[in-house]
Order: sequence, then C-alpha cells, then structure tokens
Amino acid sequence: MSSINKSIQKKTAELTELIAWFDGEEFTLEAALDKFKEAEKLAADIEKDLSSLKNEIQIVKQKFDSET
Amino acid sequence: MEKSKNQPIFSVSDFIAVVNQTFEYAYPNIEIEGEVASFKVNQGKFIFFDIKDKGGSVGCFMTVWQLRVPIEDGMKVIVSAVPKLTQWGKFSLTVKAVRPSGEGALKKSFELLKAKLYAEGLFAPERKRQLPAAPSHIAVISSMQSAGYADFIKILGDRWGGMRVDVAHVQVQGSSAPDQIIRAIDYFNQQEALPEVIVIIRGGGSADDLAAFNDELLVRSVAGSRVPTLVGVGHETDESLADLAADVRAATPSNAAQILVPDKEEIIRAIHVQVSSLLPRMLQLISQYQQTINLQLISTLKVIESSIDDQQLRLSGLKSILAQLSPNMVLARGYALVRGVVKAGLTIEIETNKAIIKAEVKNVINK
Repeated sequence: MSSINKSIQKKTAELTELIAWFDGEEFTLEAALDKFKEAEKLAADIEKDLSSLKNEIQIVKQKFDSET
Repeated sequence: MEKSKNQPIFSVSDFIAVVNQTFEYAYPNIEIEGEVASFKVNQGKFIFFDIKDKGGSVGCFMTVWQLRVPIEDGMKVIVSAVPKLTQWGKFSLTVKAVRPSGEGALKKSFELLKAKLYAEGLFAPERKRQLPAAPSHIAVISSMQSAGYADFIKILGDRWGGMRVDVAHVQVQGSSAPDQIIRAIDYFNQQEALPEVIVIIRGGGSADDLAAFNDELLVRSVAGSRVPTLVGVGHETDESLADLAADVRAATPSNAAQILVPDKEEIIRAIHVQVSSLLPRMLQLISQYQQTINLQLISTLKVIESSIDDQQLRLSGLKSILAQLSPNMVLARGYALVRGVVKAGLTIEIETNKAIIKAEVKNVINK
C-alpha cells in the first residue's frame, strides 16, 4: 500500500471517529464547534489527497511471445 | 544413392526422407480446414483422427498435450500441421495445433471444455477469492494497442490513484495469445513483490477473436494463479472460460476498472455529505438545548408565581384579621372609645362610630 493511500486511510479513519463523536456520549456543545472545524479540514485534506493521486504505470520489459 | 540413366535410385528410407524434406520445404506449416472423423486417443497420449471434406480425407496425428481445445467427430476445425510420409509409407499430417472453425464448432468446443472443467470444480464459487478493496499494486495483462486496454487505464485513473500498475503487453487473439498470456500470468506469480490482483482484459471481438480465452491451459493458468485474478473479456454478453475460472469476472474492461477500485469522486462527495450533515445536527442539538432551558425557565417561573400567590393569600388573611382588630370595626359594632382622665368633674372625650362627644364625668363608681 502506498504511503499516500495510507495517509488517506488514516485521515478517513480520523474523520469517521470525529463524526461518531457527534453521536456519542462525550458530545458537548462547547467542544462541538472545534470538532466540526476539524472535520471540515480533514474532509478538505482527503479531497486534496485523492485528487492529486496518479497511478504509476510500469511496462514489463520481458517479452512473452516466446519461452525465455 | 545410386544413379541409373541419370535418374537417382533411392533406398526406401532415403525416398521417405527426401519426400519429407520436400514437404518440409514446400509446406513448413500448412493450415487445413475440414471435419473431424474417427477421433481416438491411444494410451492416453496419442491422438489420431481424420480431417475430411466431401472430396477427401487425410489422417492426422498429434499428442494429447498439443490439443488445447476439445474436439470430437463432426466438428469443423482448422489444423496447423506438417505433412509427413511415415516409415510405413502412409501419408499423414503431424498436427501442431487444432482450433475449432465456425460458430457451431467454437460453441461445441466451448461447451465440451466448460463441462469438463466444471466437473473438475474449476469454476466452483468456493474457490473464488475476494479482491482487495483498494489495491496499491496491480498487474495488467493485455494488448497495449487495444481499445479495451485504453478504456481500462483511463477509467482506472479517473476513479483512483496512487497505485503501481505493472503492464504485460501480450497478444490477445490468435494462436500465440494463450501461451503469451500464460507466460505473463506465470511471470507475475513469480515476482518477489507480488501484485495484489492480476487483471486480464481484452475488448470485444468475434467468437473466433475471443477463442484464446477458451484455451484449456490458459483457463487452468487463470484458475491456478496464486495472485487473485480479475478477467474482463469482450462485451457484456460474451462469456469465456477464463471469465468463469477467474476469482472475479468483469463484463468489460471498463467494468473491470470499476470493480477493481473505488471511485474517488464518490468518496469525496460522501465525505462532504457526512461533514455537512454535522451542522444541521449541531443546530438541532442547540435547539433541543434551548427548548430544555425554556422549559426549565417556565417551570421556575411557575414555582415563583405559585409562591407569590401563596404569600398574597396569606397576606390577605392577615389583612382580614387585622381589619377585624381595627378600633373602627369595634366602634362600628356600637362600642365607644373613651379618652381622658375618668374623674368626677373632668371632661372626657367619647368617640362613637358616628361622632366624637365631649362629656363631663359626673360620678365614678369602681367595679
């Protein structure tokens, strides 16, 4: 797994955790605004990461038209 | 070789050798189309059959492992062969490869091999492995010049990124295609850093074009790959045996890309929807808090009001008692208030309900 993919997965997990906080027992209105801003930033980061990802295509040099 | 009147005299063996040399020179590889007859397998190794048409018949010989697709009597085939005169003087074709010819033969061969491999359990659902949700290293086996490959790579890039994509360029139709694809499968299976998925793709084509994907050895190679396989060959309606043997079958090369990776645009949309849904939820919670506080305030006000009412009622009672104690009330009942020193000859003041009277004390008698 590439490091960028890892980073996206980590950020997505963090975002899922943040969203779950809003439904959890630890929710307080005082902390909600900061958590919401944090979630917005994470979403923007994930979008940026996903949009910038490019696949690396490598052509295999070996020829397959005869036994080697 | 002896000579007689400038004509060579051959031994029988030499003659056979010369004829075979002539054949090899004239027909190094000949393709003949005809109908199979008298098909039989000897000792599980050697195959004999005749290939015939209305005008003639020729005997054919080949080994079992050269036969890549099932054939049977009555099937129309094209044989790739070398003509040969045997040491017993019998003419035959030494067959290198056989392929069904025409839609009917292709279909028949397909059904025969499908039944055989099905019976072996090659297509069994319990053999199928799941593909990783978002692989980071995949291998692609295809012809890089094909439209199917271009579609696959484009959709793959549109949907997901950050992957290493190793591509093996092979023929995807014709007699050499199955072996090339098999070698590519073997190549990827032998890599130190194994890809997470091997994707085999080819765009649409005629039944003959797609026949390579019904080659028995190729189908076995797909089924035997230790790396999970995803096969997308032809159009949606096409079905190949390689499809059936793969861990996952895609209807088309484009569909293979859709199956293989998630769509980043969909993920981005879903994330934003999730985050946006937090705001109304927060507002709803604030509203709920406000309602609770309002209810608490109303309840407190009610308690205060009730307390005031109680106090007012009490005050009213006290007022009533106080009013009863007022001297005016006593005067109103007919009593009089006397002021001054009660001594004979002195003037005193007598207050009644209706008047204040000055009076002189005439006599005082103590009780």
